[in-house]
Amino acid sequence: MKLYLAKNENVTSPAVVLDDMILTSDLPTTGGSMMLDNYMSLFGADIIEKLTKAGYAIAGKANVGEFGIDLVGETSYYGAVTDDKGNLSSASAELVKSGDVLAAIGLDVNGAGRRAAAMNGLVYVKPTYGTVSRYGTIPAACSGETVSVSAKTVSDCKAVLASIVGHDDKDGTSLPEEKCELVKTSAASLKKVAVIKSLTKDIDADTAAKLDAVKASLTAAGVTVEEIDCDVLAYAKTAWGILMCAELCNNVSRYDGVKYGHRSENYKTIGELYTNSRTEAFGELTKTAILYGSETLSDDNYMPVYDKSLRIRRVIIEAFASLHAEYDAVIIPASSKAAYTEADINANKYISFDEALYTAPASISGLPSVVAGGVQLIGKAFSENTLFEAAKIIEEGK
Amino acid sequence: MLITDKESFKRLQKLNQLALTEKEETDVLAFFTARNEDITALGAVDTENVERMVHVMPMETVVREDKEIKLFTRDELQKSAPESYEGYWQVPRLVE
Repeated sequence: MKLYLAKNENVTSPAVVLDDMILTSDLPTTGGSMMLDNYMSLFGADIIEKLTKAGYAIAGKANVGEFGIDLVGETSYYGAVTDDKGNLSSASAELVKSGDVLAAIGLDVNGAGRRAAAMNGLVYVKPTYGTVSRYGTIPAACSGETVSVSAKTVSDCKAVLASIVGHDDKDGTSLPEEKCELVKTSAASLKKVAVIKSLTKDIDADTAAKLDAVKASLTAAGVTVEEIDCDVLAYAKTAWGILMCAELCNNVSRYDGVKYGHRSENYKTIGELYTNSRTEAFGELTKTAILYGSETLSDDNYMPVYDKSLRIRRVIIEAFASLHAEYDAVIIPASSKAAYTEADINANKYISFDEALYTAPASISGLPSVVAGGVQLIGKAFSENTLFEAAKIIEEGK
Repeated sequence: MLITDKESFKRLQKLNQLALTEKEETDVLAFFTARNEDITALGAVDTENVERMVHVMPMETVVREDKEIKLFTRDELQKSAPESYEGYWQVPRLVE
């Protein structure tokens, strides 16, 4: 079982590990894919400079699922990661949990990091879209993916996030500096939160127990907790699946075995070179996602499927706006189960598409999400401090 | 709706430069069938007068001053190439 795909030796603390979706110029970057096996980037991600400037050392690169679209990382070309009980886990979560690193930085594409944090009792933040530079990350689903942080404690998670937040000219989706600063400076305001009932009906007993504990901690701290319905959030699962795969299909079209990446040894023509290189190097879930994304962009499906999903994105953002007008945070589970095994994947290899029911609402909307106590809190844009305050209460209530 | 017949699916693979095994084809077509149910369910959301949203945050087109920057040399870029020859990326002969 590989936790590190590449490691810096003699690293002094405090050290952070980077998921292998983040480009480094001194260590290989693979995206968890055979396509990029041993690939050396010519440049590193913008966040590396920011982390280094803040005094964090880079411990190495953590194993990830191929292009970050799976459940927790099980589709990596370098093998799945399991915890000491044999449950599926992620490399970065295991490294943080063991204390090998202070924090892990990942790219939240389809919620894999949020699920792994929830399963492992870690604190995790997916900040407001555009507040952390994506320059130097392997692009998968650009309109929703966000650089994220996980750590053992709220204070470490918050400090590491503060070190990487900021405008970057090199990222076209980076927000102006004054907007990015709001992540650090917005006043926390935590009086009332809502649990979305419709997204709690299919969770297992352990996840329900975690949710109950979170509700009890917040209530004991004087926060009003209400249970409400908001059925439209469930449509984020399908809409984000469509947008994510359509974007992935385009983003991985660059991998053709010519300029970089895997080249098949079995070809005679240029067509065979492309097809055999891609077929050999992409994993099954990635191939499925490419074909799904491509099909949703076809002439027949563009308007009724892809365009419809873009409209649903607005409906969901407006639903969140209504919720956040009344509630400081919205609570939903990060996954339906508190732990997954290989048997779950064998029973349904597309499980990450189904489990996106819980993670897609924050992905499609670009809103900040914090995982604490095994559940997920979603706030309005730039309300990370409010979410961290809730996480602190949950942490102290353990 | 997504295609569910094998002939169209072959075309889709060709378009994406992929060649799936028979077992993979069956699995992905079953995945498409399941997704068709989800896509049908999206119809319950009224988006008649809703504008599409590509960017989740307001985006401004930034007009920057022209500035010449040189990021990498050709040699550097070709270090990761599977095959290169005298400064060119090498591919199989295209014209017989």
